[in-house]
Amino acid sequence: MAEHYEAPVLFYIIALFALVYMAYNLRRFFTVRRGKPETDRPVKFLSALINGLFFGIGQRRVYRKTFTYAAVMHFLLGWGFMELFFATTVDFFSARGWFVRYLPELDTPWFAALNDLGGLMLLVGILMALYRRYFAKPEPLPQDGFGGRWNLLGDTGILLLLLLLVLGGFVTEAARIAVTRPATEAWSWIGYPLSKTASASFWETVRPWLWWFHAVTALAFIAVLPLTKMFHSLAVIVNVALTNRDRRGRIRPMHVSQLMEDPDVDLENLTLGVNKVRDFTWKQLLDSIACTECARCTSVCPAYNTGKPLSPMKIITDIRHSLYEQTFGGGEEKDLINGKISETELWSCTTCAACMEECPVLIDHVPTFTDLRRFLVLSEGKPPAQAASHLEKMMNNGNPWGFAQSDRTKWALDGGIELPLFSVKKKAQVLYWVGCAGAYDPRNQQVARAMVKIFEAAGVDYAVLGNEEKCTGDSARRLGDEYLFETLALQNIDTLNKYEFDRIVTACPHCLHTLKNEYPDFGGRYDVQHHSQFIHELIDGGKLKITSSSDRKITYHDPCYLGRYNGEYDAPRELIRSTLRNGELIEMDRHRNTSFCCGAGGGNMWHEIDRGERINLSRFREAIDSNAQTVATACSFCMIMLDDALKVTEQEKNMQVLDLAEMVIQAMEPDPD
Amino acid sequence: MKIAVLVKQVPGSESALRVGTEEQWVDESALDFEMNESDSYALEEALLIKEKSAAGGEVVVVSMGPPERTPKVIREALAKGADRGIHIHEEPPYENDPFLIAGIFASALRDEQFDLLLSGLQSADLATGQTGVILGEFLEMATATLVMATELQDGSIKVKRELESGWSQWITLPLPASITIQSGLNQPRYPSLRGIMGAKKKEIKVLSKADLIAGNTPLQSWERLYVHKKEKRTEMIEGDLNQVVDQLVNVLRTEIKVL
Repeated sequence: MAEHYEAPVLFYIIALFALVYMAYNLRRFFTVRRGKPETDRPVKFLSALINGLFFGIGQRRVYRKTFTYAAVMHFLLGWGFMELFFATTVDFFSARGWFVRYLPELDTPWFAALNDLGGLMLLVGILMALYRRYFAKPEPLPQDGFGGRWNLLGDTGILLLLLLLVLGGFVTEAARIAVTRPATEAWSWIGYPLSKTASASFWETVRPWLWWFHAVTALAFIAVLPLTKMFHSLAVIVNVALTNRDRRGRIRPMHVSQLMEDPDVDLENLTLGVNKVRDFTWKQLLDSIACTECARCTSVCPAYNTGKPLSPMKIITDIRHSLYEQTFGGGEEKDLINGKISETELWSCTTCAACMEECPVLIDHVPTFTDLRRFLVLSEGKPPAQAASHLEKMMNNGNPWGFAQSDRTKWALDGGIELPLFSVKKKAQVLYWVGCAGAYDPRNQQVARAMVKIFEAAGVDYAVLGNEEKCTGDSARRLGDEYLFETLALQNIDTLNKYEFDRIVTACPHCLHTLKNEYPDFGGRYDVQHHSQFIHELIDGGKLKITSSSDRKITYHDPCYLGRYNGEYDAPRELIRSTLRNGELIEMDRHRNTSFCCGAGGGNMWHEIDRGERINLSRFREAIDSNAQTVATACSFCMIMLDDALKVTEQEKNMQVLDLAEMVIQAMEPDPD
Repeated sequence: MKIAVLVKQVPGSESALRVGTEEQWVDESALDFEMNESDSYALEEALLIKEKSAAGGEVVVVSMGPPERTPKVIREALAKGADRGIHIHEEPPYENDPFLIAGIFASALRDEQFDLLLSGLQSADLATGQTGVILGEFLEMATATLVMATELQDGSIKVKRELESGWSQWITLPLPASITIQSGLNQPRYPSLRGIMGAKKKEIKVLSKADLIAGNTPLQSWERLYVHKKEKRTEMIEGDLNQVVDQLVNVLRTEIKVL
């Protein structure tokens, strides 16, 4: 039976002050009340609980292969910290003799062993973090030594304070063991050997000093926790718990048409899009204060990696800084755009969702960037100069290229194909959504023709909208022109609702995403399939016969809007495998959910940020390095970008870029041998 | 500063044009229409002049065309910042003589007493390049064509005109003046949603071509609209060297007319 070291009352008085001060500093959370209500992202209790446990305490998204070192480091830091938090809480009560019947004692064998493990984990984690920040220095990781960015103690100071805590803990423990010599001392597998390194009288002399030092540092740590980087340990749990994961990555609808019809709208004071922190929703602001500045978003960002002036982390923390400046700094309300955030930063984003995929704390970067873009376009009329004419063409011609709406089926007529039209048939099982690229872009027209061959070969009852089809508005929406997007969406929904069909099949993941996930917000609910899924079904069901097979080495480029946005990674791969004989499917380094954007998403198809390397070339070099002969794609934009890169890198003799549908067509031809 | 901008709605540049059944105009049934390109630069220049001028002013957008589609282009100009519109209703067959068209516009605009009249250099469909100049003459304004830059001065406007082979000239016109604008002199703005919503409340005055045409007569009329037929023809020139050369020179001089 261990003897209790009665902690002095003075400690509890200081502790009370520390806790009150911490609670006072937790008012940071309430800064998010500046934001607007969140209308389309309801939070349910059960999912909040599950998210909090899995993504908050469980740190599920921290552990990613892409960031192995950081994952191990944070595992040690996080779980070591939580173990010691548990130990400290227990000790806080048991040291005064409270609840001792229910609580373990410091010398209870399992508790003693566990606490030393927790301490060691934290210690190793801290050393790994210091090494990473001062020697490995991964590039986008911020380097603010002892302050800055509204973090008391900065990036270094907080690590040193934790180091002081963990080392102080070990020596205080060693002193206690040396003086009390409990029967179970060996279970403290670090404190016990440490206690043997000096004489009992030495430990006896220093023990009160060590104890007070450790107590005061611990209380100081608790008191300032919300002001330091450690605030994330609380903010993240709250943020992930309140995240509606079904709506994550989804752009918030504005319902512009309702706004247009509202006769009482106050044009002078109407803000369209976001330029001030109070125009964001509370959840967008909570995202910003939960950011840990781990820089994972930035390190995978295609814009950042090709020398464009965008760091997703910077924009999120810019929002936080503005919020804090206005709430704590007493500063006036400043514009975000052309203040902290430049227009070029915003236009550099390809909306590829790599940032959101990596973010361990479930921050929703792209919808937030889109809201800022909306301000530029809807309030200021300032889309990127090159993109403006394409937006006008979408409005006037129903496609971003500006070709005549009446020429929408010319691709088929020129190829001698007689397309079944919904305007004639009224009804078909499959509505083939050709998309603007399929209709007008010469390279993608080949994909559209391949699709027709597949439909015919498999005897699918299909039809197209023909001249009634218009751009889905994907690029317009992502460029911030919600008015144009909504105009196109409502027109398309009107057209689609005239006809009878079971599902929509499209070869373009951008069309897929808007039709499937965005049109429902405007009353258009359809069963939408990507052509990779549809063709895979046809082959599986024996409706399509693969007769020849390829000996080529093939790599598959995951389109962002098929993979990360719609979770389809397998159907395209299985489709490719079904066409292979001696050939093989090679993966590039960045594949599946870590795939690297082709550069065209987010409306970047229609304008170019004239800085650094072109994203499509960066991606295509990766394909060249994989030694693949064929680069398979499943997206109209990826096709244009990669086909362009194929020519620019002068690889036309060695390589080819093919859509999955084209590969299937080739495999349907009789085997030459 | 009271500025009028003439805008015309024309078929989009990628339109597949087909001759209409009467052989007087193209078949419009399947066409997408847009603002004539140089007119959109003229509009932007007018808005810039108004914004730069300390006294402010008014930009009035004027267009003639059928009531089904023309309001769209006027609304677009209003969304970009024009203050009000004038729409001259015109049913097909459309006028195609610039002298007559300018006369109709002159009747519509005479009482407005504009200080400045801006129009695109030429329309993408008829491309006569004359309407703005003739209208200026009708309204007793100074005129200049092919303008690449403007500088408003006290009671006058200094403009840079494009000449041949990269040359240009600066001239100063007393106000009121009518100038025709070359594409590319500015960056036409994109209409903001705020502008689009505001445009709904702006006035569009409707006039009728029939009321304005009185006293104006066309100087030319169209016989027929047709697509020029391309022909490939090969003619073998035979004989001895001198004969061949003589004949070749003759063909080049009289038939192909390059010598």
